[in-house]
Amino acid sequence: MKEITLTLKRELHLPVEAGEISPDKFREKSIGEIEGIKIWEGNRQVALADIFKVSENSGGSGDEVTIRVVGNAAKVRKIGYRTSSGSIIVDGNAGMYVGEEMSGGSILVTGDTGSWLGTKMKGGQIEVKGNAGDYVGAGYRGTTLGMKGGTILVHGNAGQEVGCWMTDGTIRIKGNTGLMPGIHMHKGTIWIEGDCEGRAGGQMRGGKVIICGKTPTVLPSFAFEEIREKVKIGEEKIQGPFYVFSGDMNENGKGKLSVNAPNNPQLKWCEKYVEA
Amino acid sequence: MMILSKKIIPNVICTFCGATCDDLQVTVENGKVLNVRSGCSTSLSKFVNYNVERYLTPLVKKDGELHETSYEDAIARSAEILANAKYPILYGWSSTSNEASRAGLELAEWVGGVIDNTTTVCHGPTLLGVHDIGEVSASLGEIRHRADLVIYWGSNPVHSHPHHVMRYSALSKGRFRLSRKDRTMVVVDVRKTDTAKLADQFIQIEPNGDYELMCALRMAVRGDDLEQDVIAGVPAERIEELADLMISCQFGVIFFGVGLTMTQGRHRNIDVALSLVRDLNARTKFLIMPMRGWYNVAGANQVSAWVTGYPYAVDLSQGYPRYNPGDTTAVDVLARGDCDAALVVASDPVSNFPVEVSRHLAKIPVITIDPHPSATTLISEVVFPTTIVGIETGGGIYRMDGVAIVTKPVVSPPPGLHSDVEILQDILTHVKKLKMGQ
Amino acid sequence: MTELLIRNGFVYDPLNGIEGEKADISIRDGKVAESVGAGATVIDATGMMVMPGGVDIHSHIAGSKVNAGRILRPEDHEKDVERHTPITRAGTGHSIPSTFTTGYRYARLGYTTVFEPATPLLKTRHTHDELNDTPIVDKGCFPLFGNDWHSMEYLQQGRIEECAAYIAWMLRATKGYAIKLVNPGGVEAWKRGRYLVGLEDRVPNFDITPREIVRGICKANQLLHLPHTIHVHTNDLAKIGNYQTTIDTMDSVRGLGGDNKPVIHITHVQFTGRTGSAWHNVGSGAPEIADYVNKHDHVTVDMGQIVFMDTTTMTADGGFQYMLYQLSGNKWMNFDVEVETGAGIVPYRYRRNNYVNAIQWGIGLELALLIKDPWRVYMTTDHPNGGDFTKYPKIISWLMSRKAREKSIARINSIARNKLDLPDIDREYTFSEIAVVTRAGTAKALGLKQKGHLGVGADADVAVYNLNPTKIDPSRDYRLVRKALKKAAFTVKDGRIVVKNGEIVETPMGRTYWVDSQVSEGLMGKVESEMRRTFTEYYTVQMDNYAMDDSELGRSSRVSVKAEV
Repeated sequence: MKEITLTLKRELHLPVEAGEISPDKFREKSIGEIEGIKIWEGNRQVALADIFKVSENSGGSGDEVTIRVVGNAAKVRKIGYRTSSGSIIVDGNAGMYVGEEMSGGSILVTGDTGSWLGTKMKGGQIEVKGNAGDYVGAGYRGTTLGMKGGTILVHGNAGQEVGCWMTDGTIRIKGNTGLMPGIHMHKGTIWIEGDCEGRAGGQMRGGKVIICGKTPTVLPSFAFEEIREKVKIGEEKIQGPFYVFSGDMNENGKGKLSVNAPNNPQLKWCEKYVEA
Repeated sequence: MMILSKKIIPNVICTFCGATCDDLQVTVENGKVLNVRSGCSTSLSKFVNYNVERYLTPLVKKDGELHETSYEDAIARSAEILANAKYPILYGWSSTSNEASRAGLELAEWVGGVIDNTTTVCHGPTLLGVHDIGEVSASLGEIRHRADLVIYWGSNPVHSHPHHVMRYSALSKGRFRLSRKDRTMVVVDVRKTDTAKLADQFIQIEPNGDYELMCALRMAVRGDDLEQDVIAGVPAERIEELADLMISCQFGVIFFGVGLTMTQGRHRNIDVALSLVRDLNARTKFLIMPMRGWYNVAGANQVSAWVTGYPYAVDLSQGYPRYNPGDTTAVDVLARGDCDAALVVASDPVSNFPVEVSRHLAKIPVITIDPHPSATTLISEVVFPTTIVGIETGGGIYRMDGVAIVTKPVVSPPPGLHSDVEILQDILTHVKKLKMGQ
Repeated sequence: MTELLIRNGFVYDPLNGIEGEKADISIRDGKVAESVGAGATVIDATGMMVMPGGVDIHSHIAGSKVNAGRILRPEDHEKDVERHTPITRAGTGHSIPSTFTTGYRYARLGYTTVFEPATPLLKTRHTHDELNDTPIVDKGCFPLFGNDWHSMEYLQQGRIEECAAYIAWMLRATKGYAIKLVNPGGVEAWKRGRYLVGLEDRVPNFDITPREIVRGICKANQLLHLPHTIHVHTNDLAKIGNYQTTIDTMDSVRGLGGDNKPVIHITHVQFTGRTGSAWHNVGSGAPEIADYVNKHDHVTVDMGQIVFMDTTTMTADGGFQYMLYQLSGNKWMNFDVEVETGAGIVPYRYRRNNYVNAIQWGIGLELALLIKDPWRVYMTTDHPNGGDFTKYPKIISWLMSRKAREKSIARINSIARNKLDLPDIDREYTFSEIAVVTRAGTAKALGLKQKGHLGVGADADVAVYNLNPTKIDPSRDYRLVRKALKKAAFTVKDGRIVVKNGEIVETPMGRTYWVDSQVSEGLMGKVESEMRRTFTEYYTVQMDNYAMDDSELGRSSRVSVKAEV
């Protein structure tokens, strides 16, 4: 296994686009070649070595690659673009578009990431210890097909529109989210362990959104179905009880929105629809 | 060309708001505007006061203060700043002509920057909603001739577009709707605005409840029961009545403003509004139209879209157009402190953007093209005075519904002033030389 | 005085009867000349094919609905880009390219003239704004009539001459080239949420039928001596089996012309060439339509061929577009234009294994292969409705090679395959016929006497393709044909080399053609004063602000004709 460390040499002021930082791109290259890879800093192309000190720890068998990024990479975008195998560890913050179009392998960020984490993802795993921005796992503007597969885990909070237009995969947010997780979702699972600002599952057609914390209201286009003691995600069973709603009816949706009951006394009104 | 005697110039196009009334009669004597008829009070004020407190010579900053300089010096300074910049932004464009936008887009391409217009703080959410859903709309005359139900949602045209209701909607005369009594007007807003006072029905909505109310209306239009008694502060029966009104009309329209685009949910408020109108078309004829604020923000979008494929927030830093609002929008670029130079045309972002965003503008070299002093010109490195579109120079513009018309001058500009198109083209010529020399 | 010599190529100039002979083309000052001097720049076209530059009679490249499509679909542009160079502007592509990209891509294909075929009168200024930013190619546009209140009222009153004068006024005001009819009468009905059926249904509030509109405007066209015939997108596009309406429309104006010249052009016939009563039994009406076209020489048509791809449909036929939205569930834009017409846009993906799409694919090709006279059928995709124009080389290969067709036929929905006649059609187009259906024939139909051929005096718009017709068998080597036609070895525009080996080397501004049909002063005066009154009642724009000035065109090229009225 090859481990390559990229250490930021200087403070960044301009946006840096470094989709080349991916095990797929580094696999066949020597250190010299990696140093010479062209990336964008603002409107200029620079060598990777202009921004990062590149070093290698070899050893171990197999030709899998691990990339370690060290330093505050909050302005570095597209880390892990189109990764299909191998792993990336960002020791610090990362910028927008981490893991864009990823299909395999893994990415770990110890700090925060910018928006569009795992955008257009097809497979693989992303884990963020800190907070993520808006549009976790979303598609591009205008497409009706978002994330297609893979798993995203955010330990901190996430912003608006987690899983926008999701078509499959799993997103787990241990902290809180902003508005509209699962908006326009087709399929897949979004599990929010903290609070959700509101409008969960808006315009969804299918899939599952689970909120363990608080959310102020449920949209009028969600019909109350039942109270469930537990909700299942894959093999895992999450303890409720949950108010389970289906919707979005305005889209003839068959999605399921499960909201923790004890944490949401303001939703008690739906109990009048429980069948005796 | 000095216009000396008194004359009345007919069919003048107003360059204030997106309604773009084109039947103004401007009285001019001795090269000065005396009066405006057929326009609203804001247009009168604009035409009569345009010459108050203007810049008349280019300025550059020396030792922290703006000093007069020659046009050539200002051009050279600007070209250098922009050609050397590694991530400049070019912002504004909505209060000037299409020709200026065209020149700006070419300049942005040569300097490898981000070009954005005021859509970003106004109807950007509308465009984002359109990307996902589409839009069912028409030119304004369709509404005048056919609409029997007019809804203003989060929009107060009595103040923002003073002649809108009279020219195009409830108070206008159409081929199939001859008078006010042939139409029903509804206003949905958080408080009873002056426009609401003209309406047949006023629905007061809780602030930030628009998404929920639209959602409930869609349910009611579909014929589904509402499980909640009150939604966004509106009783369910009232929502059902409004839905019935919408279904049973022959031709309805929703005009919406920043009450919908700039409240909680933003582009998703528009998304769901566009979806509601689309759903209604299965039952009757129904349209939706954004109330564009600036007189040529629609033009800035159109020009940007045909030149690059995208209507605003275009990043040309890598040599081809890229677009992602939230990333490439001027507000976000500034908030992250990513840009290292700025060109501002016919706009005042230091005043209009939130302080934590515009703060960055004070740290980078800014070039401003504007007839009047503003908070932005005061922090600029270079300031170009310029002529005023629709009064001193002509230029193409697009009305809020996308109809293109051409403004013409009614008076001459002060001597020595250049139009913004000329300034931009001269900067571009210099930039090309610098870039090709590199 | 600039001179150019294209030496020793295999020239296809069907208008002048040259079909692949070796010849030199001499060019001076932007026109084809008898000969040039020794100092001329030389293009060595040895072993290559030389044709007039392509003339596209129908392609939606500029204007309000095209731009609405661009705004609707950022995802369409994201992956297909053109980079900035010192000579060329950046842009984006795929199904709705940005304007600069459009000009470059046409030039790379060896095309030098393109017409935007549908623009609302009120919004034609917008179309010209975009055409002004479309480099290299010569261009023009067809403003929309037939749902406009003025036309319908004049025709309903039987006032053909006044209608003609009004149309002449509008063409001058909008700088338009020809009359376009889309779903005549049907769009006005759509604005009331209704669909008309057939040609005899009456337009609500206007007491006129589509047949009366088509005939009336056809007569007006004759009176005005416009260089092109009426250009018609027929009624019933939204109807499943609609080929009969196409035939009825063609037949409705039979006898209105004399001397064997066409009086009507039916566009993208594939879309209105279906048989059937339900989507599952749709079939090809191409044999019936081709039979009619073969027997009646007053008609020209263009294919509107579909290609299996994700593209964007856009027409003035708002009702059809709504139906397509309902069928596909895709996003939908609709834009009605006061007093005049409408528009609709829906992204759409044509799929091989979709029964209806496979039939549609067959219809377009059957039409072109069954219509015998290549001078009356033209190759188009109704860009971008059937597919984008960069797919033209592929379609050309289908016309020229049965083998290429078989390869595609083998992959389409099998039930459709069994239903179509296409698998049994042997015919293969020759290079000469291709030159007709992509340039000579279209130029002739448009009445552009200086285009589409390489006779002395013609505009020096030339395409040189790296294809040796004596060494290539297009039937067998269709892939080589595609490759060569995708990237011209040279494209020459007005005598200047603009493309070399598929790369843009120069970007001159092309001309914008528009027609000024001179009607008698008395008649025009009368009509104008009537219009002054109705304008204020009908429009939300003042009449004086409506009309365009010549100076608004980047390079105005006025085509002047004398009307009969």
